[in-house]
Amino acid sequence: MNCGIVIFAHNNRQIDYVKLSMISALLAKKNLDKPVSLITDPSTADWMKESKVFEKAAKIFDKIIITQRPESGNNRLYRDGKDKIAAPFNNTNRDNVWYLTPYERTLLIDSDYIILSDVLNEYWNVDSSFLISNTYKDILGDHRIGYLDKNVSETGVKLLWATTIMFTKNQESKVLFDLVDYIKENYKQFSDTYRFNPSMFRNDIAFSIANHILYGWEDSNDYTLPSVLSSPDIDFLYDVKEKLKFIMLANDGDSYITCSIQNKDLHIMNKQSLLRNYDKIMEQL
Amino acid sequence: MTFGYLIIVNDKNDTNYLNLAYALALSIKNTQKEGYDKVALVIDNKDRLKNLTSPWVFDEVIENDYHEHWNGRSYMDFLSPWEATVCLDADMLFTRDYSHWIDYFIKNCDLYIANSAYTYRGEKITSDHYRKCFTANKLPNLYSYFTFFKKFNVMMEEFFDLNREIIENPVLYANNFLSAYKPSVIGTDEAFSLAAKILGIADDISYPLSFPRVVHCKGMLQNWPYPADNVFDHVGFYIDRKGKIKIGNYQQHDIVHYVDKEKVTAETINILEEIAWKKT
Repeated sequence: MNCGIVIFAHNNRQIDYVKLSMISALLAKKNLDKPVSLITDPSTADWMKESKVFEKAAKIFDKIIITQRPESGNNRLYRDGKDKIAAPFNNTNRDNVWYLTPYERTLLIDSDYIILSDVLNEYWNVDSSFLISNTYKDILGDHRIGYLDKNVSETGVKLLWATTIMFTKNQESKVLFDLVDYIKENYKQFSDTYRFNPSMFRNDIAFSIANHILYGWEDSNDYTLPSVLSSPDIDFLYDVKEKLKFIMLANDGDSYITCSIQNKDLHIMNKQSLLRNYDKIMEQL
Repeated sequence: MTFGYLIIVNDKNDTNYLNLAYALALSIKNTQKEGYDKVALVIDNKDRLKNLTSPWVFDEVIENDYHEHWNGRSYMDFLSPWEATVCLDADMLFTRDYSHWIDYFIKNCDLYIANSAYTYRGEKITSDHYRKCFTANKLPNLYSYFTFFKKFNVMMEEFFDLNREIIENPVLYANNFLSAYKPSVIGTDEAFSLAAKILGIADDISYPLSFPRVVHCKGMLQNWPYPADNVFDHVGFYIDRKGKIKIGNYQQHDIVHYVDKEKVTAETINILEEIAWKKT
């Protein structure tokens, strides 16, 4: 089976998702030894050419797939430790991956997901058309994990994490991705039924509900991808040492705690701090 | 060996327990295999069954107005007409066939009492919000809402004898055995747990099994991030024309102990009756 990794990148004026994707892609290729394709839009591709990263990107990515830029209108706060900026979040076309992927078996990852191990290689041959992570882990432990990191809402269903998704391109997975699209189109209506805040579209919520519905309105206890080890955007990526040792400053209320992460896949939500370390990471790849 | 379910009702207050028992009996008839769907009702006044459209769902009706409420339930071993019985709380509904588990109980147990409960989302309940007495006094965590017993065995007789003794002498037993946290009322759950502890048979009659799975709809047990008196102030209770129950966004496949007696309405009963009529 033809297997590969896909990353979406739609730049906004604050965050260079292409650069994030390049980091993520190189680490994924290094640790999983699978081709990586980028899905982006014409304006982001133009910027790649303008900023002279297109050639480099063309070497990194197996394919660069240009699609329509998703409608914006989904604004979010990007935190950078204690600072924050508002910017459009162009994440509403993730369900199109079923149609856009060039692979039969695809691993879809967020551009801020840093693959530092080969753990995900264990899942290419799992007999399941659709796999997603159902657990969020915090680098500082459980005390920073809130109720809404585990549940779509106070009374709603369990939250799945669309940071990593693996699927086989077949009719079974198509039904799920089409349902995610339907949920996206009727997001407000679903927010009434599932009692979540609809102010910002979240793929995690749409995938959670779709999975819940297709599992017969129950929580699925089938195969899942490994938990998503995460550093929330109130933390910083402080430094990247030799052998790709990621030094994080984790916000523990009044103070910061230093953590080092190595050989473990990590979701670094503070994108700006990841971009600040772009050169240091690229030097090692 | 005869097997059947037993529901004990005694309407001494505003709640129409007969109605709840009727809904439960209908749900048993609708979901259980033939031979595993017998229901016996213990009631203080048989005449009240005349108000039901389909009283035939009760295969046996036993009139008993001698023992009230908790007392009545503590005589379940005497009252049951079956050789093997599952005694249930009236405010429950069955959602699918569990008869394979009845075979297990008949083959392997003389007495088995439920020891777990689940939220409507299928999470195991660990909160002791309503069970401080159990934690403080180190009682086994028994739930009398699903009690299996076979007649004519020594352990069962000793257990129910002591249970009755506790129910009839609550102050004496609370002072001697529940001093760490005295419950306001010694109900069947407390009495069962204390009897099992005193007799040292808790592990024999209540070891972990994956059945019964009972969804316990008490507000503070749902693992919600806020306090709740009534589950159904926060999530909906839905029953479709096929008798399938949903609570909130979750389809229910386990036994639903809905607690809020208002959930069984005339419409709910009408749906269950229609299914039962079609089945017969």
